[in-house]
Amino acid sequence: MALDGWKEKLFQRYLVWSCRPERVRSYLLNTVKPDLRSAQRPLDRKVVRAAALQLELQFYKSPLDYAAAMHDRLAEAVERGANLVSFPEYNSLHLLGLLPGFEAMEEAYREQDAGEKPEGSAKESAAEDITIDALFRYMSPIVKRLVPAIYGTLAHAYGIYVMAGSYILADGGNLVNRSFLFGPDGKLVGSHDKVHLMVIEKEWDLVRGSSFPVYDTALGRLALPVCMDATYYETFRAFEAGDADIALLPIANMESYNYWLALRGVWPRVQESPVYGVKSALVGSVAGMQFTGRAGIFAPLELTPREDGILDEVEPFDKDAIALADLNLEALHELKREHPWRDRNPALYKRYFPRLYLETREQESR
Amino acid sequence: MRVTALSLAGLNLCGLKEYRLSLVGLLKNEQPELAVLPALTGPALAFGSGAIPHTAGLREAFTACMEDEGPFRQAYLELHSSVARELKLYLAAGTIFEKGGGRVYHIAYIFDPEGSICGRQRQTHLTRFQRELGLSRGEELDLFQIGPYKAGLIIDNDARHPETGRILALSGANLVLHCGALQGELNCWAQAAGMWSQVQQNQFWAVEAQLNAVLGGSLFGAQCAIIGPCEITPGSSGYLNRGAPGKEAVTAELDEERRKKLTSAYPILKLLNPSAY
Repeated sequence: MALDGWKEKLFQRYLVWSCRPERVRSYLLNTVKPDLRSAQRPLDRKVVRAAALQLELQFYKSPLDYAAAMHDRLAEAVERGANLVSFPEYNSLHLLGLLPGFEAMEEAYREQDAGEKPEGSAKESAAEDITIDALFRYMSPIVKRLVPAIYGTLAHAYGIYVMAGSYILADGGNLVNRSFLFGPDGKLVGSHDKVHLMVIEKEWDLVRGSSFPVYDTALGRLALPVCMDATYYETFRAFEAGDADIALLPIANMESYNYWLALRGVWPRVQESPVYGVKSALVGSVAGMQFTGRAGIFAPLELTPREDGILDEVEPFDKDAIALADLNLEALHELKREHPWRDRNPALYKRYFPRLYLETREQESR
Repeated sequence: MRVTALSLAGLNLCGLKEYRLSLVGLLKNEQPELAVLPALTGPALAFGSGAIPHTAGLREAFTACMEDEGPFRQAYLELHSSVARELKLYLAAGTIFEKGGGRVYHIAYIFDPEGSICGRQRQTHLTRFQRELGLSRGEELDLFQIGPYKAGLIIDNDARHPETGRILALSGANLVLHCGALQGELNCWAQAAGMWSQVQQNQFWAVEAQLNAVLGGSLFGAQCAIIGPCEITPGSSGYLNRGAPGKEAVTAELDEERRKKLTSAYPILKLLNPSAY
């Protein structure tokens, strides 16, 4: 069963129609709590109150249920004064619940992953006939409609910045993993295509991004790297070159939780390149993949009270939670100006990196 | 390969002979094929032995070492060469200050089991304090052979600069020796932000030797560690072994086959995207 039959196309049209922006906006505007606007800090470039959401995967049957759930989580953060709220990676996986028969498909994927597939069974065909990348392509027009309709509307309604998380989307003939930032006017500030893909994402046929944009906002200069991008210091050096203040990192760690494994990523990166790091996490499981947290807000050691690089980190690694902290941009700028140990050695870099990166590219193309 | 990181704690620094005797005794006990001494081993021994008068402030103490014209340096190198030869091991001899071309560098030497110098490395990234002292940066990071391993040296503050580890890893290093000296009491996070982070993003082994001593009235109190990629260490911690401050030595066996299996299954360096940099 492929996803390009007439029934599937017809159903996709229905889904696109049911996700029309005016319907979603109208629904959300009836849901928002206007009194919460007074709870948040004013927008300024001195102190930003950031929230990193940890969301447990739920599969919603209706786009409005999804919109309502995202609103409720965001409103919790706004109620606590957040003016910058960050959602996780793969934030559209919740929408797989819109697909009829998804539960059976999901079960088949899980069994396939566990090596339990009963040969010749219906479950086997559900998992094997519909590939993950075909699912992402099928859902792409729906997600493209919903993301600005939901997160732009919420950002505008509460007058805050919202990093909407990341989504696997079709871009021309390619699939990309793209994060989005919306401003308090409800408009899209910018996006970032994941530059470093996991092995499994390459298997899903995703294409890598090629740049590290930094966006100037009323809350400072913001970057939106995605998950694996934080495995590589090069990402954060690029942000540093772009004068970034805050890196908003949506993650969906595909592994059993372990403190040290989870420490890799944004925590070491903000020690190397002084910026604040806001890590929002998707947790739960789908199609045999398990995602674990923990969401947190990180800073250079020198800017954290316990000198551990952590401003806030949620306790559970598998449940809904919110990390919240005030980011002092003036203190960050002061640290960068008077840094006690940071140094640059351009002669060293020039001697090695052009050749080494060229060799890496050549190996990759072989 | 059996590797040991030394902190200088427990070694007798009162004289060169006394130091040699205690170092040989400790290494015989640990029985490594490779041992790494911490940064500032040279100054610590120079002050301890009276070769250079120990002054009250760190700045003054280091300045005195930087002005040394060479007799102590020669004795220092010969001593460690002879220890490597006697015990038939590779020995990274910590660091000293060394003049060259009208400049002063913070440099480490490593000796092979024949007692010959098989590698040397200048510190490439300086702290504000070191720049104010007048030290200069090295501009090369070279590999050398340690038995079956291609190895590199990361000196002191270079551990906090990820460019160093990346250059070594992309050049083919599978083992990095770190001569470290972190001022102040132990902060495990400051250490994790150095070599531990470099190991995790490059998947090599690291032998981290951290100075445990008081120099110029300043405490250096970090902990020695043997570090590997999280996936192949107990509890996925990234540490094969690490010692509390004050512990003389930390030893572990490196299992290169496990590391190779990991890098084959999860090839971090192959997932780099250099076209974007």
